Amino acid sequence: MIQFSGVSKYYDGDVVLKDISFTIEKGELAYITGPSGAGKTTLLKLIYCAERPDTGQIVVAGWDVGKLKQGTIPFLRRNVGIVFQDFRLLFNKTVFDNIALALRIHDMQPREIKETVNNVLKDIRLKHKEHVFPQHLSGGEQQRIVIARAMVSRPTVLLADEPTGNLDMDTSRNIMGLFREINARGTTVLIATHNNALFHGTGRRVLYLNNTHIEKEAVG
Amino acid sequence: MSTLIYALQTAMKSIWNEKWINLLTVLSVSIGLLILSSFVTVTLNVDSALKRWAKGFGMVVYLDEDLTGKAENELKKLFLQDPDILEVRYISKEQAVRELRLSLGENASILDELDENPLPSSFELKLKRELLKPAVVKKKAEQISRLKGVEEVQYGEKWLSSLNTLSTILKTSAIFLGCAILVAIVFITYNTIKIFFYRRKDEIETLKLLGATRTFIRLPFLIEGLFIGIAGGLISAVALFGIHSMISFKGVEILPSIRTLMVAPPLQAYILIVLVGAVMSLTGSFIAVGRIRY
Repeated sequence: MIQFSGVSKYYDGDVVLKDISFTIEKGELAYITGPSGAGKTTLLKLIYCAERPDTGQIVVAGWDVGKLKQGTIPFLRRNVGIVFQDFRLLFNKTVFDNIALALRIHDMQPREIKETVNNVLKDIRLKHKEHVFPQHLSGGEQQRIVIARAMVSRPTVLLADEPTGNLDMDTSRNIMGLFREINARGTTVLIATHNNALFHGTGRRVLYLNNTHIEKEAVG
Repeated sequence: MSTLIYALQTAMKSIWNEKWINLLTVLSVSIGLLILSSFVTVTLNVDSALKRWAKGFGMVVYLDEDLTGKAENELKKLFLQDPDILEVRYISKEQAVRELRLSLGENASILDELDENPLPSSFELKLKRELLKPAVVKKKAEQISRLKGVEEVQYGEKWLSSLNTLSTILKTSAIFLGCAILVAIVFITYNTIKIFFYRRKDEIETLKLLGATRTFIRLPFLIEGLFIGIAGGLISAVALFGIHSMISFKGVEILPSIRTLMVAPPLQAYILIVLVGAVMSLTGSFIAVGRIRY
């Protein structure tokens, strides 16, 4: 589902990622870890085409990302749900509208949007907060909204960048539970985190990113 | 369809949320359009007056005192064959006196004092309308005055020249002013939409990451620009109608003939004002949103 072949990325001549090659299979849940500044976010950005590789090839859900034209990028992104490190919630929209936005982009009919968003809100147990604005929610609730927004359009791939960055242990466990549920429904999930506790003992594949390249691959 | 509804809702929400800046923009656009349309209306009125005057424009060819009837007939034949001349009217010495008597009215008795008729016989010629340019008329007058039996040729040379100059100045000014105002409307809308675009920069960034197409992102801004143009156009059309009606009604009290002289802008002109506002504002919005890069 995600395939990197000899990918390198430079910023102003400085190497950020060097000769990265790995494959994430369809339906897999994998982690990518490493210290801050190791290039985890850049690697995710390469997948959803916010950055372009300087060398190598990236294939995501059948799309050769490096060769995508500007006008085609939105259609790749509709196949890739993203849970951003900084949430990127719209504070002038309610919880319902934040999630519905992802479906409106897909040109879905209003009645269908209402039904789908309501179901998702029930799944993440935030139905009672649908008319609330994000700034009035806790960090954990905001993160659940972000995950719901990423998943509501049923993408084939879900990327999460430090999804438990500012959350306590209990909330983090709940959030990771949500990712497992999503993965169990068949979505390929790739989570970037520096927190070893998140993947320790999960039995999932972990890619260790250090010094611009993948240092090792192991089972968590 | 769903995208269009969403874009409309977003645009309407933004118009309401940013009502003061939108109102100012709409008023600026409407003032620009009003100045332009008023100027065009004045130009049209002057042009129409010129055409109306031109309709009655005549060249009077005074004939030699001792010209025989045969020679007069030959001259008439010559004028009738001239393709530049539309109408030929012969005015005999006797008819000239009659007409003068009529125009003098109560003072006509003054003519009884005269021993003989001092007025010459003449031809009144009407030239084709398209020839009514000072240089052309002057050339024609010179040509006719050289004919045998012609004493003098008279026409409203100064009037014709002044009105033509005025019409040319007004038309040229309308073109320049029009271009300047149209550019200004584009610029005014561009500025407002650019401000809105920057204010929603974070939201646009999120939309791009969620997979929104360029059309999805641009549409609300274009609708907002279109609204500004249409609203501005409507206000200026209503204002123009009001000003024109006021001048027509109030002007009649001062100058009664103004009603027949004034030309009212046709309905199409009002529609055109709204259309011009819409197209120019839409252009401004389109430039403001610019190229969206992912």
